Amino acid sequence: MARSSPERRRKARVKFGFSVYYVIFLIFVYGPMFAMFTLSFQGPRGGVTFPMRGLSFYWWEKLTGPSAVGDLKASLVRSLILAVIVMVITAVLSTMLAMAFRKRFRGSAVLFYAIMAGLMVPGTLLSLGLATLLRQLGIPPNWWSSGLAVHVVWTLPFGFLVMMAVFNRFDGRLEEAARDMGADEWTVFREVTLPLILPGIVAAGLFGFTLSYDEFARTTLLSGAQNTLPLDINASMTQRVQPTLFALGTASTMFSLLMIGLFIVVYTILYRRAR
Amino acid sequence: MTTVESYAKFSGVEAAPRGLIGGAPAAPSGAEGARKYRREPGFPVPVLIAPATLWLAIFLFLPLISIFIFSFWQPTGHGMTPAFTLENYRAFFASEGFFDPKHADFLTPSIFIRTLWSTFRFTITVMAACLILAYPMAYFLSMQVEDFKWQLSLFLLVMVPFWTSYLIRAVAWLPMLGRHGLINEFLMDIGAIEEPVSFFLYSEFSYTMALVQLYVVLAVGPIFFSLAKIDKALLEAARDMGASPFQIFREIILPLSLPGIAIGMIFIFVAVMGEFATAVVVYGGKTSTTGTVILSYYVTGNYPFAAVNAFMLMVAMMMGVIVILRVVDIRKEL
Amino acid sequence: MSYESPLRVPQSMWSRRQFMKSTAAGVAAVTTSSASFLRVAEAADGLRSIGLGVSEINEIQDKATKDLGFPVAGQAMGYGEMIGKMLNQNDQYEIAEGYYHDLAILWPAKVFQPIDTKKLKDWDNVTNLTKTGKLTPESQIGQGAAPFTMIYCDENGKRQQQPSRYITMTPGWHNADSMGYNPKATKRPIESWSELLNQEWKGRVGLLNVPSIGVMDCAMAIEALNLKKFGNKGNMTKAEIDFMIDYLIPLKKAGHFRAFWENFGQSVNLMVNGEVVLESMWSPAVAAIQAEGVPCIYAFPKEGMRGWHGGLAISSKVQGKQLDQAYEYINWWLAGWPAAFVARQGYYHSIPENAKKYLEAAEWDYWYDGKPAAKDLPDPFGTIIIKKGDIRTGGSYWKRFQIAVWNSVMDENDYLTKRWTEFLNA
Repeated sequence: MARSSPERRRKARVKFGFSVYYVIFLIFVYGPMFAMFTLSFQGPRGGVTFPMRGLSFYWWEKLTGPSAVGDLKASLVRSLILAVIVMVITAVLSTMLAMAFRKRFRGSAVLFYAIMAGLMVPGTLLSLGLATLLRQLGIPPNWWSSGLAVHVVWTLPFGFLVMMAVFNRFDGRLEEAARDMGADEWTVFREVTLPLILPGIVAAGLFGFTLSYDEFARTTLLSGAQNTLPLDINASMTQRVQPTLFALGTASTMFSLLMIGLFIVVYTILYRRAR
Repeated sequence: MTTVESYAKFSGVEAAPRGLIGGAPAAPSGAEGARKYRREPGFPVPVLIAPATLWLAIFLFLPLISIFIFSFWQPTGHGMTPAFTLENYRAFFASEGFFDPKHADFLTPSIFIRTLWSTFRFTITVMAACLILAYPMAYFLSMQVEDFKWQLSLFLLVMVPFWTSYLIRAVAWLPMLGRHGLINEFLMDIGAIEEPVSFFLYSEFSYTMALVQLYVVLAVGPIFFSLAKIDKALLEAARDMGASPFQIFREIILPLSLPGIAIGMIFIFVAVMGEFATAVVVYGGKTSTTGTVILSYYVTGNYPFAAVNAFMLMVAMMMGVIVILRVVDIRKEL
Repeated sequence: MSYESPLRVPQSMWSRRQFMKSTAAGVAAVTTSSASFLRVAEAADGLRSIGLGVSEINEIQDKATKDLGFPVAGQAMGYGEMIGKMLNQNDQYEIAEGYYHDLAILWPAKVFQPIDTKKLKDWDNVTNLTKTGKLTPESQIGQGAAPFTMIYCDENGKRQQQPSRYITMTPGWHNADSMGYNPKATKRPIESWSELLNQEWKGRVGLLNVPSIGVMDCAMAIEALNLKKFGNKGNMTKAEIDFMIDYLIPLKKAGHFRAFWENFGQSVNLMVNGEVVLESMWSPAVAAIQAEGVPCIYAFPKEGMRGWHGGLAISSKVQGKQLDQAYEYINWWLAGWPAAFVARQGYYHSIPENAKKYLEAAEWDYWYDGKPAAKDLPDPFGTIIIKKGDIRTGGSYWKRFQIAVWNSVMDENDYLTKRWTEFLNA
């Protein structure tokens, strides 16, 4: 239907206003990262604050070389692997849970708060409780077993709530129609539900990845003999706080931005093909 | 309402519903049809909840029960012995002279309750700030940006800092806010101030700002999702009927986005209540949250008292979540 | 097309069974693989060592692996995590590189085993600092948990106060801490602990935030101001704690303290950024600060220094071949190579002659003998931190090591933590 010109202009102004807000917001959220980015090129004699003492790749080289305390490279790999596994498990489990919650079932309120409890238990105590338990059973902690277990406990409520938001007022008619046509549950899910909730699953997975990658308090007694990245960073800070940390931060930011760029490209290609 | 009932309702009693592809055999309409669909649509609930429930039972509940039991044990200075005592709880709630009318601390709640309360008050401030900042952002992404691809990309762009280790991000504030940091140097360069402003760092201001900056993204996501699902046709219809943008917002958009707001607030509430690390970096350790208290007693091996604080923190968080969910009933919306 | 019969059993049963099976299989896999990992770890030899980044340095553990012929793996962690792991997971490490004052918590938990000094090759050469508390006959012993009060035990682990054959922890690296200050900002030397509370530095003072350590600094300051004489600063009574906290709270409210720090790097940042001019500090921080071009001097207060002492303990779960290897590692430490390594950060060793073997003459002269540096000297990682002509404040090891109080875990630790929380929230 026709829109009058002033209407269109007003909309354009509003959109512009919001875009400006977006940029300001972005600067706020990234804010200190600019300082971090600049300081990662700090000269060899410089420290983690301004002024810059020359420009160099010194700290980048230190990142790739052997570290004095801990092993940033190895713990980075461990954290990434762990985060990916947690991401998958979170996405799957939270989708399953949210689908169950579409109906009323006995004990649903209890289960709901049980999931929320995973958000609320202070990390250090959960780590102590589980570590004591494992000790009684004679099972040694490891980043890929006990570390994984406790990460999922933490990320599950986040993923679950995201999926709840996705299923909120979800239109079940399409699924019903598919069932009418004789599709079995798996087909209904695969062909109808899944494409519709996929962005939510991706978001839940992303939450899982991010939260696991950054997790500290819960992992302390449960990562076993090998540190995850946050534990290693904390340990190295007992020795020194150096711009190597900033090189690490800049590198992971660059990597994430690259992934987003890749996503846009892939998506565009796929879409163009679908059209 | 189950899907079947809603389906029956939407389909109307008179019209025979059509399948996805026209020509599919029509289901019997109305109540008769509902009765024929005896089987539950969807996967069976026990199957759906089993893996997660098992996971939580083993890795959350068993340790949680342990913590609860620990809180009643006797601290021994290097650990604890399984001797039942309520002393830990008394020490948590009541200061030493609580019951003694002659004592200076008569009827004064202990420092631990006061710490919990101040942690709570502070969290509310951060939540409010995050909501104010996050909502327009989510609105922009869902309403103003057209293409889904761009929506997601811009959203991810905002999330990227979240993927940098939290510790590094907190440390990165120092070069910005310090006495010789970027902001002070800039303000001095342009002559706005004579002396560096020390208030930018190691103050409640820096602490609040750092927390908002670290966690605001958590709110953007859920609100974004809620907003994105609003049927644009509804908005069109309202506009056509002459509603002003404010009315549309107040009557349609805001209520429909409430679940997203609630969820975002829950995330931030829980995260900030449990905080202890940011204060060390950005506030110079000059405050104590309940999280800090838990850690202090944990480090000296006094697990029972740490457990008491942890348990009370959880109770406080649970109460907060329940309140939020009473105001916005997510499940009703489902 | 007909409607699906309500008994769509095959599909759902398949799904349900699959779920059940995969879940059960997953749980089983995790538990059995961790169990088998456990068996693998027991069968393997080698040592796992945990501690702070002060001693868990890759170069040290790598050299140990090379010299001793079996793997030595180090894991550095933060202070709280270290205590947590030492207390709760002593089947996860063989060597604990800890600190004598923590033994008040760790030893009663029976997580370490007594060490037989007869198996330590160089025990006789260990200085009297560790054995009697007096480095030289004229040294004062110092209040608090001096190592010689924490070190002796009998073969069953019962603590002794007299020299005995068995010890709790082998002495390693130690140092005397005080304050660091920026001479250009203070414009005069700092020579007393009382300066920490001096109004002249209001808003520019930093303090260590670990109660068992930072509190001692404050107590030294209060005593130096002649406000109160403490019976034993390393083990204060409730009344003494109350006095101290009640004195500090108004100061904090008035903004006297700029920031508290918890780890080494934070203390460096505070001084380098110009946030503080005076703070409690660990000695390697001085070198790090100077390396960034900010002048910094480590104070040598007339009241004495605050001492701390680290060492190596063996987990009570270690036996057999690994126990022999643990002793080899400890002997390797005492023999000096790692001691020289950490000397370049300013830490002293309990057998100075052994450290001397691995230090250059110029390094020995500066770090231990208190002589001016004959040339530029590096830190353990090769960065030059000492300029030619610099002198170590306080002089030689034997002159410098005047300890007024040792880091301690007090009897009233819980009460202290409670009042410290009040202080932090003020």
